[in-house]
Amino acid sequence: MRRPDGELILFWTLPAVAAIWISAFFLFPGFVHPMSPTMSAEQVARFYQDETARIRYSMILFNWFGVGLIPIVILMAMQIRRMAHRTPILSYCLIACAGGPPTIFLIANMFWLLGSFRPDRAPELTQLLNDLAWLTFTVLVPYLIAQCLLLALAIFWDQQDQPVFKPWVAIFNVVVAVALAPAAFTALSHTGPLAWDGLLSFWVKNIAIAVWIIVMGVVLGQNIRAQRAQEQVAA
Amino acid sequence: MSTSTTALPTTGWNLRYHPKRELWFAWWVMVVFYNLYGVLFFFVTRVQPPPSPAWDTPTVARWFADHGHGIIAGFAIVFLVAGMCAPMNALLAYSMRRMSVSRVFAYSYLIIYSLAAVPGMLVMAMAMTVAAFRPDRDPEIIGWLYDFGFLSFSGTMGVFLIGSLVYMVAILHDKNDVFPKWFGYLGLCNALTEVVVAPAWIFQRGAFAWNGAIAWWINMVVFVLYTGVFIVLLRKMIEREDFGTGRLPDLPAKEASR
Repeated sequence: MRRPDGELILFWTLPAVAAIWISAFFLFPGFVHPMSPTMSAEQVARFYQDETARIRYSMILFNWFGVGLIPIVILMAMQIRRMAHRTPILSYCLIACAGGPPTIFLIANMFWLLGSFRPDRAPELTQLLNDLAWLTFTVLVPYLIAQCLLLALAIFWDQQDQPVFKPWVAIFNVVVAVALAPAAFTALSHTGPLAWDGLLSFWVKNIAIAVWIIVMGVVLGQNIRAQRAQEQVAA
Repeated sequence: MSTSTTALPTTGWNLRYHPKRELWFAWWVMVVFYNLYGVLFFFVTRVQPPPSPAWDTPTVARWFADHGHGIIAGFAIVFLVAGMCAPMNALLAYSMRRMSVSRVFAYSYLIIYSLAAVPGMLVMAMAMTVAAFRPDRDPEIIGWLYDFGFLSFSGTMGVFLIGSLVYMVAILHDKNDVFPKWFGYLGLCNALTEVVVAPAWIFQRGAFAWNGAIAWWINMVVFVLYTGVFIVLLRKMIEREDFGTGRLPDLPAKEASR
């Protein structure tokens, strides 16, 4: 029998960190009714003064667990290794993408925490930190888009009798990439669907990320389990 | 080969079954990315060639007011496509896996250059976008964002310095002739540009300032040359690739296996 290699331990961290991400999302007072880019400097400063504690605690949680996505993306890179490709290029691509979203998110996270560190700072400066946080958070999509499209391509090229992922997973990833794309353009507008609190840049983008994590988590888990069962039979 | 009886495979077949599809895909992503990068930075956002660090605050604020739309739209496209760096860095890492050197080189390069895009490109894009987002902000704050943007872009040095040196050592040490040795020394030139750019953190005018003859113009020439050369050399590597593990074969006399 195969020695347990710990991949399942990393995989089962996903539901735990996902639960923490969701709690932190609801704890942060600026997400459930997303803060508007049209708020004046004084309104933003008052928000940081009134909600200091919840901003700090939610962002500390995100700071702790935001990087929890990296092992999951690396597990996907390991699945790509099993595909019928001739080079390791696509698994390298996923590894190259893995650090991007958490790094960009951590930058946004620091700006939120800095804003709440001295909420009685000059309102213009709090507004600056808030803009840096929100815009960085909203445009963190480039590596997520790349990750989805590269995974779809990897699946498309995995031509073997029993492909690692089913073809619908490729289509699903392309759809998610399309849903994430408008958020890159958020700074074009202070109001409407593109604004950082708007339908496309906030709701569609964040729901797409959540759905991607859930769906890919499930198929990844099924794959890892099937792989283990196969190896036990073979052994 | 193809299901059709004709000798030449169709584009569709090539996209799906070509033995070198992954390599050519990464190579084309790299070519498209650098072209986009040039267009976006030089013509859409117009942040290159960079304006002067010696400008006074009202001039900086006016520059943002004049260039605001281009900056926001151009960097929005940067945010959309920045992930194209991944296949590009993967191909460069693959070229090192093809060499006779340890995997350490490929993995180090992959991580260094994947990390590089954040401080070296995306932070600048963020700072510039935030500055252009509210042109009515206090001009002093706009001035700080201006410095933050240009200095993070020019002043992110170590990732490119160490990254180029890792590549250089791999090329010079390689016995498989993946690249000619002179390209290794060109990598040294590229690494040196990251050394001479350091004074951009200190000087606000002159040759060493972020828009100066040394810190910008010479560096840009070396960078463009270096990039152009590795694009061509990677293309040659892919043409010669036979998926063996040893030395890369010479190109057949006439037709490369594209």
